[in-house]
Amino acid sequence: MLKNYFKIAYRNLRKNKIFTSLNIIGLTAAFGVAILLAMYAAYELSYDRFHEHGDNLYMVYSEDSTPNGIEANITKSEPFAAALRDELTGVKKITRYRGSGDLLTYGDKQLQMSSAYVDPDFFDMFSFPIIEGDRENPITSESDIAITEFASKRIFGDENAVGKTVTLLLDEKEVPFKVSAIIEDFPETSSLGFDIILNFKSQGYHAYERTIGRWDIENHEIYMELADAMTPAQFEKSTKDFTELHYKQEIQDAKRDGVQPHNGVYRQIKLLSFSDIRFANFSQGPVNVNRTMPYLVLGIAILILFIASVNFINMSIAKSDRRLREIGMRKTLGANKRQLFFQFWGESILVFVTSIGLGVLLALFLLPHFQLLFRTKATFEIFLNPSLILLLISGIIVITLVAGGYPAVLMSRLKTLQSLKGKLDSNGKNYLRNGLMILQFGIAILLIGATLVLQNQIEFMRTKDLGFNKDQVIAFPLNGKRNDQQALRLLRDALKSKPNILSVSASNNILGLGKDGSRSTSVLGFDYKNRGIETHMLVVDADFTETLDLNLVKGRSFKKNLASDSLSVIINESMAKQLNEEEILSAKLNLDDSKQFSVVGVVKDFNFQDLDRNIAPLTLFALPNWNLRNVYVKVAPHNLEESYITVKEAWASVEPNAEFEGSFLDENIERTLRNERNMMTMIGSGSILAITLSCIGLFAMSLLIVAQRRKEIGVRKIVGASVMAITVLLTKDFLKLVSIAFLIATPISWWLMSKWLQNYAYSIDLNILLFILAGGIALLIAIVTIAGKTISAAIANPVKSLRSE
Amino acid sequence: MTNILLSLNEASRTVNSGSNKVTILDDINLQVKEGEFISLMGPSGSGKSTLLNCIGMLDSFTGGGYTFLGEPVHSMKEKNRSKLYKEYIGFVFQAYHLIDELTVWENIETPLLYKNIKSSERKALVADMLDRFNIVGKKDLFPIQLSGGQQQLVGVARALIGKPRLILADEPTGNLNSKQSTEIMELFSQLNKEGVTIIQATHSEKNASYGSRIINLLDGKIVDE
Repeated sequence: MLKNYFKIAYRNLRKNKIFTSLNIIGLTAAFGVAILLAMYAAYELSYDRFHEHGDNLYMVYSEDSTPNGIEANITKSEPFAAALRDELTGVKKITRYRGSGDLLTYGDKQLQMSSAYVDPDFFDMFSFPIIEGDRENPITSESDIAITEFASKRIFGDENAVGKTVTLLLDEKEVPFKVSAIIEDFPETSSLGFDIILNFKSQGYHAYERTIGRWDIENHEIYMELADAMTPAQFEKSTKDFTELHYKQEIQDAKRDGVQPHNGVYRQIKLLSFSDIRFANFSQGPVNVNRTMPYLVLGIAILILFIASVNFINMSIAKSDRRLREIGMRKTLGANKRQLFFQFWGESILVFVTSIGLGVLLALFLLPHFQLLFRTKATFEIFLNPSLILLLISGIIVITLVAGGYPAVLMSRLKTLQSLKGKLDSNGKNYLRNGLMILQFGIAILLIGATLVLQNQIEFMRTKDLGFNKDQVIAFPLNGKRNDQQALRLLRDALKSKPNILSVSASNNILGLGKDGSRSTSVLGFDYKNRGIETHMLVVDADFTETLDLNLVKGRSFKKNLASDSLSVIINESMAKQLNEEEILSAKLNLDDSKQFSVVGVVKDFNFQDLDRNIAPLTLFALPNWNLRNVYVKVAPHNLEESYITVKEAWASVEPNAEFEGSFLDENIERTLRNERNMMTMIGSGSILAITLSCIGLFAMSLLIVAQRRKEIGVRKIVGASVMAITVLLTKDFLKLVSIAFLIATPISWWLMSKWLQNYAYSIDLNILLFILAGGIALLIAIVTIAGKTISAAIANPVKSLRSE
Repeated sequence: MTNILLSLNEASRTVNSGSNKVTILDDINLQVKEGEFISLMGPSGSGKSTLLNCIGMLDSFTGGGYTFLGEPVHSMKEKNRSKLYKEYIGFVFQAYHLIDELTVWENIETPLLYKNIKSSERKALVADMLDRFNIVGKKDLFPIQLSGGQQQLVGVARALIGKPRLILADEPTGNLNSKQSTEIMELFSQLNKEGVTIIQATHSEKNASYGSRIINLLDGKIVDE
């Protein structure tokens, strides 16, 4: 029996080569892409899930009420962790965590390492297993260092690392550390990333010693393990007294400045579940945990599978009238509904199993490209998880059951005589088909529209005038061994005689995102005329405004002889507005008791942060001997390539052992748009696939409809219809469907995209033309898809089509 | 020889066509004994096919009584009815209605599949049948590769494979030339002699003459017997 089913299924599929291949191509593409997208989503969602105590791990942060509303503050001060543990119940374990980058030396090897400074509890809280060395107290001693397997290989090669001594450059001093333990390489899906781990107290003067006992210097994060008996909400509630005690001054200042309290408090300590960190946004008001991206990707995968399944359902149903006689005959010969159902379902399964198999192959083949395109390290290993495998398999079974089973149910239900006569009353059935096609095209139009909006927004952000010169400036990190001032001096000397180099400067933060991928935020708060003022802080070298072509609207820039300007600041317009002075150049800022800074210049606002934010107040300092992390070199507008090489060579002559990680600022800006680009590529390729699959379905439908109406077309031609009239007749029903899809999809698309654009302080205005364009594209592709078949049907000799009846 | 195979008692069938009630079969009274060879005659639209379909349980009467082998078909559930006809009735159609995707062998085998007969037994039965109809050489061909007469031969073989007590043939020679027609009718006559009851619908006086009894239908009524 089973053999018979498969035999006839196989023969039937072979007989309908066109439909079978259309189905298999569509489903294969859909399954292949869906597998990749599901993999990506699963990978993202699995972030930080590998910690044994994960459910009880939290990041401690606070929500501070400020004149600009609520701000999430994740950095905390040196005494905070210990005080929290000692003064409150519920803290099972707690650790401070400061991530940094340090230059490690071993023998003649110099390597830039990403480092983490933590308290000893760290290893009890997080699951970073130690595979060699001191398993109990790897970093209890301040002269110990634990390194990952990966780092060990980089530093020591195949040598045994434990017990060896390496040195780190801390505050420009070489400090020796003994390797105490090797940490097993951890999954890529970890938001804590490091090569080496040291005791928190091992940090240099600036990062640690200077901060001891001070509540006003906040430079690290805090993670805690909550006692089992407590909920985060209970714990948060219990911190009220703690906050009032330790942040007395801050709360008083806030009251003085007329800040609106939130829920009756000015400062609220909060816990953020560790697995939420990857998806949390700390930069806009209260912390917002948002898993939209992975779910969006999953959603696209489901939509694509849906479209391909709809094709299958529609084709199967439309094709069923070719099999009516068979169904009728089988019933006459004694087949019951169940037997017929299984027969047709078996055929569906055959198609689906083939497509899934090919889809897996396709996914395997596309995997490297996918990883490259989306800069993801997701692999199929993510599926090696029993519950996920189960989910995947049940998903596939459900799809096969529904998409394959529905036509089977319809066919097995047909009345014997009716089907023997080869007649099918087609009322109602077409509603379903039309409905599904509208849905397909609706989805396609939605995705096309989203792609267009995304693309416009990205283009807008990429080309927007940011207020500084991004085309001619090369930036790179000062990642060598020399101290920054010395390195800068040597670099200036090396570049002085080059005609294509216009100027050189430096600052302690980067614009955009550099090749090294690191950037930071420094915010400074102080009192000005009995008001609290908050400003971003940027320490710069001479020629900064000139190098970046910042627009000076008032006053002057820093002098060449920077030391004489060590008590001068330049502010941006937004800061000037905050200070609110008639004569801004007379303003004096008292940052702490001993020093008074005078404002010597005002620059026009420029986007020193990403475009999802408004331009915040910014103050430029010219502090001597400050840590300057990045160099900016302005080059002549022509021969950019050549200038780049000049800078690279100059840097090599200054720091022969350091890597040159230079890039033009426009590339840096481009890097900050990575998420948007990823999203666009994802939605864009989703939309291409969606429209292609929808059109495969449309094409198949046009084939079937034309075949069904062959006689009608013949008769119409004989009574005098023109080719045009027939083409229109055949095409218009489909185009009606696409138009309805457009009308339904556009408002949804508009609403979704306007919501998305709200994430950006600087965004395009939604234009209805974009959506009309999306609908137009869909319509055009639909017309082209069905034109061939309908025109050839219209041209065909009517006598032929009538004879076949 | 006097066993009554089926009887119709004032059986009728009406359908609704729009708001009109159309009577297709009207008060049919008929008794069929085992071993009879009945020819239904009448012009197009007289209800021959409908009567055959209703007797074959592919369709049902809307009024009156229908007893098959002593069982009241009119009050039976669909499932039992299908069991009944699967067991006792074979069909032969004007358009053969072979399944295009199956070979001759497989077409003949299909009814046995639905009766859940074991593979070895199926093989033997099909082989016998092919032998008997002299189409062993054609067993691996598909219907499209056969002439009309050969296709109908396969159709008859398929109807017979389940060893039915009754064969219903709706214009079995309607698509055949006279030589092929004669062959098929000879075959029917032979089967009838072997004890199979046959009811055929036909336009042809010549075909009707093979039967033992002729029933004339007009506008859904038996007019002459």
